[in-house]
Amino acid sequence: MAGSKQWAVPLRNIAILLLIWEVVGRLDLIADGALPGISEILIGLWNDRSDYPLHVWETLKASGLGFVIGNLLGVVAGVFFVLIPMSLRVFRGLNIAIFALPPIAIAPILSLTLSGLTPRVVLAALGCYFVTMTATVIGLSQSDSRAADLIRVYGGGNWLIMRMVQFRSALPSILSGLRVAAPNAVLGAILAEFGGGGRWGLGAYLLGSLGRAEPERLWGIGVVATLIAGLAYGVFALMSHRFVGASRAVTMNMSVPEKAGDGSSSPVSSLLAGAMAVLLPFLFWWAFIRLLEVPAMISKTPIGVVEYLFFSPAAQSAQERLIAALWETLPITGVGLVCGLSFAFALAISSRLFPGFLRAFMPVALVTQTMPLVALTPLLVLLLGRGTSLTLWVTISVTFFPAFVILAQGISMVPRATRELAMAYGASAWQELRIITVPASMPYLFAATRLTVPRALLGVMIAEWLATGKGLGNLLNQSRGYMDYGMIWTVAALSVILAVVFYQLVVVVERRVLQRMGMSTAE
Amino acid sequence: MPAGGITFHGVCKTFSGRGKTIEALRDFTLSCPSGSFTAIIGPSGCGKSTAMRVALGLEGADKGAVLIEDREPLDATRAGLTGVAFQDAALLPWRSVRENVEVPLEVLKKKVRDFAPDVQHLIELVGLKGYENALPGELSGGMRQRVAIARALVTRPRVLFMDEPFGALDQILRRQMNFELQRIWQESQATAFLVTHGIDEAVFLADRIAVMSANPGRLAVVIDVPFERPRKPELFSDPAFHALCDKVAEVLHGGQ
Ligand SMILES: Nc1ncnc2c1ncn2[C@@H]1O[C@H](COP(=O)(O)OP(=O)(O)O)[C@@H](O)[C@H]1O
Ligand SMILES: [Mg+2]
Repeated sequence: MAGSKQWAVPLRNIAILLLIWEVVGRLDLIADGALPGISEILIGLWNDRSDYPLHVWETLKASGLGFVIGNLLGVVAGVFFVLIPMSLRVFRGLNIAIFALPPIAIAPILSLTLSGLTPRVVLAALGCYFVTMTATVIGLSQSDSRAADLIRVYGGGNWLIMRMVQFRSALPSILSGLRVAAPNAVLGAILAEFGGGGRWGLGAYLLGSLGRAEPERLWGIGVVATLIAGLAYGVFALMSHRFVGASRAVTMNMSVPEKAGDGSSSPVSSLLAGAMAVLLPFLFWWAFIRLLEVPAMISKTPIGVVEYLFFSPAAQSAQERLIAALWETLPITGVGLVCGLSFAFALAISSRLFPGFLRAFMPVALVTQTMPLVALTPLLVLLLGRGTSLTLWVTISVTFFPAFVILAQGISMVPRATRELAMAYGASAWQELRIITVPASMPYLFAATRLTVPRALLGVMIAEWLATGKGLGNLLNQSRGYMDYGMIWTVAALSVILAVVFYQLVVVVERRVLQRMGMSTAE
Repeated sequence: MPAGGITFHGVCKTFSGRGKTIEALRDFTLSCPSGSFTAIIGPSGCGKSTAMRVALGLEGADKGAVLIEDREPLDATRAGLTGVAFQDAALLPWRSVRENVEVPLEVLKKKVRDFAPDVQHLIELVGLKGYENALPGELSGGMRQRVAIARALVTRPRVLFMDEPFGALDQILRRQMNFELQRIWQESQATAFLVTHGIDEAVFLADRIAVMSANPGRLAVVIDVPFERPRKPELFSDPAFHALCDKVAEVLHGGQ
């Protein structure tokens, strides 16, 4: 009975939501019909039915291939990192860069240097690698250490422990990693289609439909993209549910895994590892260009970018444009991030006071998690126009939902006994929040911030590229048009570095604060 | 003077972490004769588990040495001379009872099939007949612990290590398991090394009780237990039993 009830409430809420949507859309109440009714979207889908199969197939091909490659790499890398803990430190920089890089920024680079389906596959794979690698490392290192001792006691080595204990016990974690990776692959492929030109694929279709005044089509593409991502998520959710036999937390660990500071390594070797961590991303960048043998005109090595930005004839103008763009992009990223996080925090905290609300809202929040960001933006353009408020809303909406999911789940994990302790002494609900729930949710607030910092930058850049014609996103798009290769590489590198620096800043603050509070970082 | 069994000789072990060092074992010397049953008891954190882990080669000693059946720990474990049971069973949740019992055989690269009768016999010995294909999640805490005991015995170890194997069980079940462990151990004729914090458990099972004290972890005294074997459950209510328990408790608390 309880089971069916659990489903009934969210289903009812979704039905109500859809009904309101239909009525509002049919009556053209929002922004002169920018929000069509559901039936109108469906009719649009039917009218465009001959367009979809090829676009969808192209996107599926790229994201499927990227999914397989990215996850294979993720699992292999995860196993490697656990077997050789030192390597985790050496690769830390690269891992953070892959996590934080705004895909939109490197999409143009990939389509410059690679051809055909490859840029899409690479971007899809990049979206999967990090999630799965992290899930693998965590799954492997959280396995029962006594079971590992047992194997060791009978003379088994690291590899046997990996095979008999760790890998199998990491499977649920890896499966839930795949679940999150699946929509990421779709998003990556669409972003690459979008930033790379080409005729087929949902991203290309979206780009081609942007200029027309056909909201139904844009919504249709958005719905199809969300459906594909949602289905991919669902398939793996089902698999891991079957496999694990119980549902697990929907959030994913978003901390870049690292071994806790074991006192065994000397300062020299940890310094060396740190230096390697910083250098490695640049080495990969350099090797990428060298191995591909793209003409030097098109491809810029790290040194090439420095040359372009400081020593070339165009240096002066490049710097000016870059600074102007940064000046537009950074403030709005910060504001959007703070707004998104505050809303999420406020809502998550107050959902503690109204538990029914949480249950009703969670499914909506989860659906938005699988919604490809890039499909969302044009829809918001329809609703909000092309001003700064659009950028702000895109940023808020891409940060709000994931942050809310993490926070709400974190808060729900505050042990009941702890809360009841406060209640037992007659604390009011507000007192309980202040004394227990808010401090206890600090680790989750940081986890949410870590997760959303790169997303905020990505959201702003997509909005700038697609709609507002400002900032870094626009600079990237323009440079593509002018074939200003130096600038393309510079913007890409700068946005990755920015994302990494922001991420690292959050990590440092997080450690300080949590250490002072005597807490450890949230999953 | 080769004696078999387990001998700790002046073992020292210090842990350092987060700025402070913990002397988990200081000059720990103890010998457990072949075929005897020794219980280690002491306050929490006094180094009982550390002593066992050093003996199993899971931790290296800073000073001193441990011999198991006159061999180095790692030698002995790899030769399959030891069996081990940890607190909370530490079963692999995805393996059935039988497959869990077979883990040590697999690690030692033995042909699992050749041991099928042994495995079956052990499962019956610990009273789990009919549960061979059950998963650990489907068993009660006591049954899981019995699987761990069976697993510890599957290699026919000469030396059996147990670290609070019944720590998670309630008093009644614990006494029942104590009784069964005595029976199983007597059949196996192994040297037994039991880490425990239950005084009655130690007195009921052991030939000798090594009492440890903490900070630094060291051996306080060894107390002999004279009761005849096989010991019956009635012993738990014997006045002599209680007198000995009181004596152990006195040493334990005096040693702090
Ligand atoms: N790997 C380790 N690192 C640091 N300290 C440890 C480690 N293992 C044990 N200790 C410390 O050594 C002392 C003895 O631990 P242990 O042998 O587990 O005690 P117990 O008698 O409860 O089994 C404790 O203070 C414990 O904190
Ligand atoms: Mg212990």
